[in-house]
Amino acid sequence: MNQEGGKAKILVVDDEEIIRIGCSRILEDQNMWVEEAANGRIGWEKIQASPDYDLVLLDLMMPEMGGLEVLDEIQRIDSKIVTIMITGFATIETAVDAMRKGAYDYLPKPFSPDELRAKINRGLEKRRLTMEAEQLREERDRNLLQLSKEKSRTLTLINCMSEGIIATNRAGQIVLINPAACNMMRLSCERALGATVKGLLENPDLEQHIAEMLETVQRTAIMTRKEFTTSDKRVLQSNTSPIVDDQGETLGTITALLDITEDKKIEQMKSDFIRLVSHELKAPIGAIEGYLNLIIEGLTAGDSKKEREIIIRSRDKAENLLLLINDLLDMSRAERKISKTMTPTDISAVLKETVEFYRNEAKSKSLSFGLELPEPLPPVLANQDDLGRLFSNLISNAIKYTPEKGSVQVSVRQAEGQLMVEITDTGIGLSEEDLQKIFGEFFRAKNAVQRKISGTGLGLSICKRIIEDHNGYIQVESKLDVGSRFRVILPVHKLNVN
Amino acid sequence: MNSKKKILLVDDDPAFREINRMVLETSGYEVEEADSKPAALEKIRSTTFDLVILDLMMEERDSGFQLAYALRQEEATRTLPILMLTSAEEKTGFSFDVAQDREWMKVDDYAAKPLKPAELIARVEKMLQKGKT
Repeated sequence: MNQEGGKAKILVVDDEEIIRIGCSRILEDQNMWVEEAANGRIGWEKIQASPDYDLVLLDLMMPEMGGLEVLDEIQRIDSKIVTIMITGFATIETAVDAMRKGAYDYLPKPFSPDELRAKINRGLEKRRLTMEAEQLREERDRNLLQLSKEKSRTLTLINCMSEGIIATNRAGQIVLINPAACNMMRLSCERALGATVKGLLENPDLEQHIAEMLETVQRTAIMTRKEFTTSDKRVLQSNTSPIVDDQGETLGTITALLDITEDKKIEQMKSDFIRLVSHELKAPIGAIEGYLNLIIEGLTAGDSKKEREIIIRSRDKAENLLLLINDLLDMSRAERKISKTMTPTDISAVLKETVEFYRNEAKSKSLSFGLELPEPLPPVLANQDDLGRLFSNLISNAIKYTPEKGSVQVSVRQAEGQLMVEITDTGIGLSEEDLQKIFGEFFRAKNAVQRKISGTGLGLSICKRIIEDHNGYIQVESKLDVGSRFRVILPVHKLNVN
Repeated sequence: MNSKKKILLVDDDPAFREINRMVLETSGYEVEEADSKPAALEKIRSTTFDLVILDLMMEERDSGFQLAYALRQEEATRTLPILMLTSAEEKTGFSFDVAQDREWMKVDDYAAKPLKPAELIARVEKMLQKGKT
């Protein structure tokens, strides 16, 4: 608007030059910007050219284009331009007519400078208010639009969240609930909205939690976290806060829900495993301590042969402990997938090397020990160390559990994009019951323990992890006292797959 | 001690059986061993023992309890003193507090593994003393 920051812009339209000059002089003295037009047509042309006049002083009776005509045009293009009609005595009725058409006021001729100033100032005041109101209206519309955009954005955000959100009002009625929350609470969103929390959530813990929050009288932001189990055994974590206004009055609550069932499971598995490991570590150390106590407390009665036996047992236990710790490290290595580099690997090289490594051990038990390798074999995408560890475990197991003069055979076959490595022994075998459990951590087959064949109970669970890491799988066939066959199936690495 | 007291050691860990056998034998007890629940039951049915030392976890995690329970069911062994040993307090969920678990465990004493030789002997002596009166 021209009034603000600058001068008010006035157009004086009158065919009497003396009036135009008089008005200009008076208004310019008032620090206004004044332009003149000698008749209605010129005036209208000026307004069309720059429609930013704050006020038009418009004579009613003019040649070419009358005041009323110009007024009509002004009203048509911008009714916010304030128009004051200049009238002679005879035209007062027409002036009234003009005001009906949208003129703001009229000024009867002759008029004094004071009268002119008063009318003009009032007119400009009207103009200022109109412009201000207009601006406020625009601002409000803009804000409302923004608000509704913001609201829809927030709602979309809440609905997309995987966390459940439930908002209640002061009466404990649900005013907002997102699909995740409905899903977690097994509720239909339509039914939940507007319903009272009490009795709806089928979970007294959470209901009570929300009720407590509604009763809190507290200015500071608080949040309480609870965990509860649903009827179908899922564990949910809820974070509830009261919504408090600046008077400290509670307006409602917001509850965020998180399904932590999986986390709990992993947590449980982890602590079970740690307990199991501690037990396995504690047993040999306890045995060593016990053996040493026998000597320290003189229970061997100086029998040096007996003492030596005890010391050898202790050393064996310590060795076992070391093996166990190495296996545990292997296992954690098998789990660290990220840092593992997988390269196209020639499985026959790994097998040859492993078989060579165990040849002496097999020979000392007079085993028939062989490797059947159809070459060339396609590569598999693998971590070379892991693959070595895998076949070492399986081959050393076969040797360990096969009695003297038995046989351990390693063979490879290729079929349908897969490599099949078979390790077949004529060993002590596994009972059907044990066969189901051999990949579990720390599991030892009954017949292996009975025969005092030492082991950590981790080898096969390490194997399983490694194979799964390589997108393969393992099969076992076994018969008690006849032998076992472990079959590792790995996918062939496809070159240049596009 | 006019006749040697007979103790049955039930544990699936040969090292512990060996250690405890030496400890007990040095103190003048006669010791027999069993490495599982069925083996122990068999021995108890054919021989009279003065005390059973029992490992909680053998082939199953509560084999010791099962065995203790079986012994309490049979007339001949209803009052046979049982010392329960275990290295797995946290794992079983039992607090190994006599007041809390005794009903359940149906044993006369319990101890965490490993037990020092002197302590084992002290406990065994105390239990046998009690059995006499």
